[in-house]
Amino acid sequence: MKVTADTGKCVSSGQCVLTAPDVFDQREEDGLVVVIDAEPPPAQHALVRESELQCPVAAIRLLDA
Amino acid sequence: MTTTEAPHLPFDRRNALEIAPLFAKLRDRGPLSKVVTPAGDLAWLVTSYEHAREVFRDNRFGRSHPEPDTAPRISDAALLSGPTGEFDHEERDHKRLRRMLAPAFSAPRMRALGDHINELTESCLDDMRAAQDANPGEPIDLTPLLAFPLPVMVICELLGVPFEDRDYFGSLSERISILDGGTDGETAMEEFKAYTLALAEKKREDPQPDVISDMVAVQAEDPTFTDDDLARQAAGLLFAGHETTSTRIALGTMFLLSDLERRDRFVADPEGQVQQTVEEILRLSATSATGGLLRYAREDVEIAGVRIARGEAVLVSSDAANRDASVFADPDEFDPTRAPNVHIAFGHGAHVCIGANLARTELRTVFPALFRRFPRMRLAVGIDEIVVRNDKIAGGVRSVPVFL
Ligand code: SF4
Repeated sequence: MKVTADTGKCVSSGQCVLTAPDVFDQREEDGLVVVIDAEPPPAQHALVRESELQCPVAAIRLLDA
Repeated sequence: MTTTEAPHLPFDRRNALEIAPLFAKLRDRGPLSKVVTPAGDLAWLVTSYEHAREVFRDNRFGRSHPEPDTAPRISDAALLSGPTGEFDHEERDHKRLRRMLAPAFSAPRMRALGDHINELTESCLDDMRAAQDANPGEPIDLTPLLAFPLPVMVICELLGVPFEDRDYFGSLSERISILDGGTDGETAMEEFKAYTLALAEKKREDPQPDVISDMVAVQAEDPTFTDDDLARQAAGLLFAGHETTSTRIALGTMFLLSDLERRDRFVADPEGQVQQTVEEILRLSATSATGGLLRYAREDVEIAGVRIARGEAVLVSSDAANRDASVFADPDEFDPTRAPNVHIAFGHGAHVCIGANLARTELRTVFPALFRRFPRMRLAVGIDEIVVRNDKIAGGVRSVPVFL
């Protein structure tokens, strides 16, 4: 699985970080999303999929390997 | 639209843990229904999950109105009852606000705040213990000892508001959120703005690492962000820290205590279960007395085959959407093992609640701490005896009597 996040769309809601904290974070200056693990291990996949659904502005994209 | 046959909000519900059965009945008839708001005006009520998300994401809906004086209203409260902001630059103003607030509510700041929230929680739990010891055999009320003071302390800290003023701004918060508050609500709102503006003046001289200081800094660079904007936003945030999380702490405790096996399951491993338990509490705890979050159509829009005319009001019911059986199996059941649990308790789209992470951080701290300290806690009265506050914007309950 490959994870990308569109910072142009991101509204700094942090839903992704709270759902999958090993994969996403937010920058402290402006709260924009940061992908900290772009190829998360299988154990994280369910949480990452949930983050994608939760993102209020559809800024998270997943590419299934 | 005509008022004939449209049901009147707020709808009756049996107790604080359920929502009015009418929401599901309306959803069965269609995703959007005409309703009469508590203010007596007509609005569209969205009860389906799919369409709630659609409306939240659609920028043809906003919080401002092309002709604010004629806009349908949802209540006579001084807050969230009618149009807010300027129709012509709503999007610009909203973006500026998000940018201004995002750093303070970001995950790194929430992590930094975590230990402190822990300490505040423990001190509230000490107070609960002391109250019970002072009156053994008598129930204690969780609301004034934990559910209310904890979120207020946290929001004070984040905004840079003196906690000592809590009785004063607490009563202002109360007055602006009464649904038929009328002119008293307006007076309280003006007082509230004067209070936050006075705080801003102090921070202009002596900036601190807090949100009101951040706002003052933004204002120095952007004069279109007026004193009135600043005062209103600060009051709105301070108000939000009172009602929303507080209601969730109260209702969450009631959910966990309404079935002692459920309580015991949580007590067996609070840390391990808290994340999903909090999401389920958020999904099920209905906190809207007004029916939903208010939007106005900025132009004519068609949703689910329904034509919504420019300027009409739309109430998006997260409470109803979160119990939509097409998305959540057995939607009225409290099931902390649900996965995924993509509820919209904080809204959705660009306006999604900026305090969501703060609320989650508080809730994820409070429930394990509470049940680790008082694993045998139980309700002192039946659920049906705990009165829902239908006269306040956020619904909620006045008291939660428990034995520790
Ligand atoms: S959930 Fe979406 S909008 Fe929120 S921080 Fe993550 S990417 Fe940004």
